[in-house]
Amino acid sequence: MSARGVLVLLTVLAAGAAPAAAQTEPPPGGALYQKLCSQCHGEKGDGNGIAAPRLMPRPRDFTTGKFKIRHTPSGALPTDDDLRKIIREGMPYTSMPPWPQLSDQQVDELVAAVKSFSPDFANPERKPVPITIPKAPAYSEESAKKGKEVYARIGCPACHGEIGRGDGPSAPGLKDDAGYFIRAADLTKRWTYRGGPTREDIYRTFTTGVNGTPMPSFAESLTDEERWQLVDYIVSLDGREDPGYAELVQVQWTTDDIALEAPDKARELFASAAAAYFPVVGQITEPGRAFHPSANGVTVKAIYNARDIAFLVTWHDMRADVSGHNAPDLPVPPEEDKGEVAADPADEGGGFFGEEEVTEEASADDFFGEEEGTADAGTESEFSDALALQFPATLPTGARKPYFLFGDAQNPVDLWFVDLAKKVATRYKGAGSDSLTLEEGEDVTAVASYDKGEWSVILKRSLRATGGVTFAESQYVPVAFSLWDGAQRERGNKRGLTRWMYLYTMPRETPSPLWPMLRAAFIVLVVEILLIVWVRRRQTPVSPVGQEG
Amino acid sequence: MSLPIIWWVALLLLAVQLVLWKSRAGTFLWTLVSCFSFWVFLRFGFTVPVPQSVISLYMGIALLAAAAYVTSSRDRLEGFTGPLVRLCTEPARRPLLYAVVLLLPALAAFAVYRQMNVKLEAPAFGRTIHPAPPDSITVHDKALNLTTLDNPYRTLEKSDPPAFASHVANGRRVYYENCFYCHGDALRGDGMYIHGLNPIPTNFADAGAIALLQESFIFWRISKGGPGLPEEGGPWDTAMPAWEKFLTEEEMWDVTLFLYEFSNQRPRAREGVHE
Repeated sequence: MSARGVLVLLTVLAAGAAPAAAQTEPPPGGALYQKLCSQCHGEKGDGNGIAAPRLMPRPRDFTTGKFKIRHTPSGALPTDDDLRKIIREGMPYTSMPPWPQLSDQQVDELVAAVKSFSPDFANPERKPVPITIPKAPAYSEESAKKGKEVYARIGCPACHGEIGRGDGPSAPGLKDDAGYFIRAADLTKRWTYRGGPTREDIYRTFTTGVNGTPMPSFAESLTDEERWQLVDYIVSLDGREDPGYAELVQVQWTTDDIALEAPDKARELFASAAAAYFPVVGQITEPGRAFHPSANGVTVKAIYNARDIAFLVTWHDMRADVSGHNAPDLPVPPEEDKGEVAADPADEGGGFFGEEEVTEEASADDFFGEEEGTADAGTESEFSDALALQFPATLPTGARKPYFLFGDAQNPVDLWFVDLAKKVATRYKGAGSDSLTLEEGEDVTAVASYDKGEWSVILKRSLRATGGVTFAESQYVPVAFSLWDGAQRERGNKRGLTRWMYLYTMPRETPSPLWPMLRAAFIVLVVEILLIVWVRRRQTPVSPVGQEG
Repeated sequence: MSLPIIWWVALLLLAVQLVLWKSRAGTFLWTLVSCFSFWVFLRFGFTVPVPQSVISLYMGIALLAAAAYVTSSRDRLEGFTGPLVRLCTEPARRPLLYAVVLLLPALAAFAVYRQMNVKLEAPAFGRTIHPAPPDSITVHDKALNLTTLDNPYRTLEKSDPPAFASHVANGRRVYYENCFYCHGDALRGDGMYIHGLNPIPTNFADAGAIALLQESFIFWRISKGGPGLPEEGGPWDTAMPAWEKFLTEEEMWDVTLFLYEFSNQRPRAREGVHE
């Protein structure tokens, strides 16, 4: 504990002993800090607030003077503007929210509060000097191509993966300075970048590094040109700057045969189908809660022909867990339900990784090493990765749907479950999270593959299969998705999920708009001509000069 | 700068009217511009978009009013039809006439195209936000009558302030261990999971939410959650847990106290009783 920390503690103790003194002594960081920030960052700014045990990443410990998003060199303190920006804009996809409702004065008050917890800010030798980010040159494909070489050369794939999905061989073993597991950024999802999605933000992050995490600074090792090439490569990984979350997936009609025997060929059938990207959040409603599930989104495509319907479901996972088993009704012990993130994985019971996780030594060796082999090579997990599609067991006629968490007694759901260790699909009837029954018969078939940090699963079912939901042309059907990451010990209720979304079976033939368009234009034209003729007729006796011979 | 959008649009349209008046615009031009202005006002003047059906209704009324105005005297009628008649008859305006004759069918075709290419959207269903609570509930094997139920710790506010403060502090702990993922750090219903939820969580900071409700209602919503909602509340979609599965009765009352304390609001008093 720092000297200031001890002092603060003594002050608090003294205040407790002498209530009169408490009246005059302001609380550490001030009243506004205590009201808005202390629940996570702690009353003493040490990152140990009430909410902290269930958060990932953990709240910043201000007493260490280490700040992630800065315009200052690696290891340096942040500028006041850096702190203001984080307070104002928050850090996306973490528990640090934006605070747009605060006045400039209040934000300044909080900046002062944050700085008060570390003596480093008072040290004149540590006064932060911001770097300058040169004006970004225009994006170009060539630059992105060269950036790919830079990306590989300086060792990014070790953590961020070969094509940036956060699945590098070292990724599962990464820890921050406090010993907590920390996830390498999925570079293909710019909207989740903690420091912002712009090209300047990306430049800044790898130039200054992320203090307190394994992400180093590349200020010394790259020329300015190489940096913009790296930026362009990262931007080129996924065209989207925002996720464009969908609520509906269109099921495309096809005349082709849907055969899963040749998975690559089956995948091609989905090429022309529209992709829908759904947000995935933790199941925190029923006991067995997952406060920070691995997955944060799932991409779905769907097709149907006269015989079958098929879904292509893809999502990013840093490691394929294909040993062990999984099921939607596996129990989660109540201790684990508290969701506490263990500091030291060695003593964790319900932490983020089981005993089978990659060791610390391995991560240190791999960090800048060759990226041969994958993280899943040789790792065994107790629980496997898994996927479930959920439909109402019978098509709802009105607003009434089954309860979104595996249905309810009156309105059961039809669950298509794939344990990715076995890669075999099974069907469950769900009448609630505690009432799942395995259905007889294997009429859902599935093929699954894992490549470069992405699971890709195709599920198929005959349209004529009995039991469970039926699909017909031009029809809306509610659908929801559940994802389990075995590495995070997700099973049963502990999982990532979507709320009820919809699928729509597209009509077999889309009528061409050409004829209706022409008809409308023709009708308007005829009316116009009739009107003009009528006006001219009526005008003739009054002003015959107005009309031409 | 922070003037509501409705004022900006209204000022702009007033300026347009001023220009028309200054330039002595004829009845035809004035009627056309005014009808269009009214549409602009309805379409862009409101932060919460006005539904298309409502816009159509109001535009229908506006057009009727315009027709009544135009036909209210012979002068006005001539003022309105004059430019149209001249467009149809005068040779000098022939190019303009041809342009209009071609433009209108093209617009009609475009409208049909737009109609046939409406983006597919998931069906939406309405739900009641503050559904009527049941008369009584059973929480942890204890029957509670919601019409007479009060927060047992509310009276401590006056009788024993330190004890009350400790209940609020306990409520704060409960909130930040469980609730803020959805309801947000500052209780504004904007937690880190809301992009995955529909319906979105209640904003407790809103003056139209908990201040209009009695604490027994809040206790019912917390203890029974989404599954305890009546049919009209759409219980199948909401992610609100039935907190009786996780929390003690005291914790649920304490977090209720915290919601009011943090947002500087008071629960609605029961009619005919104290306060």
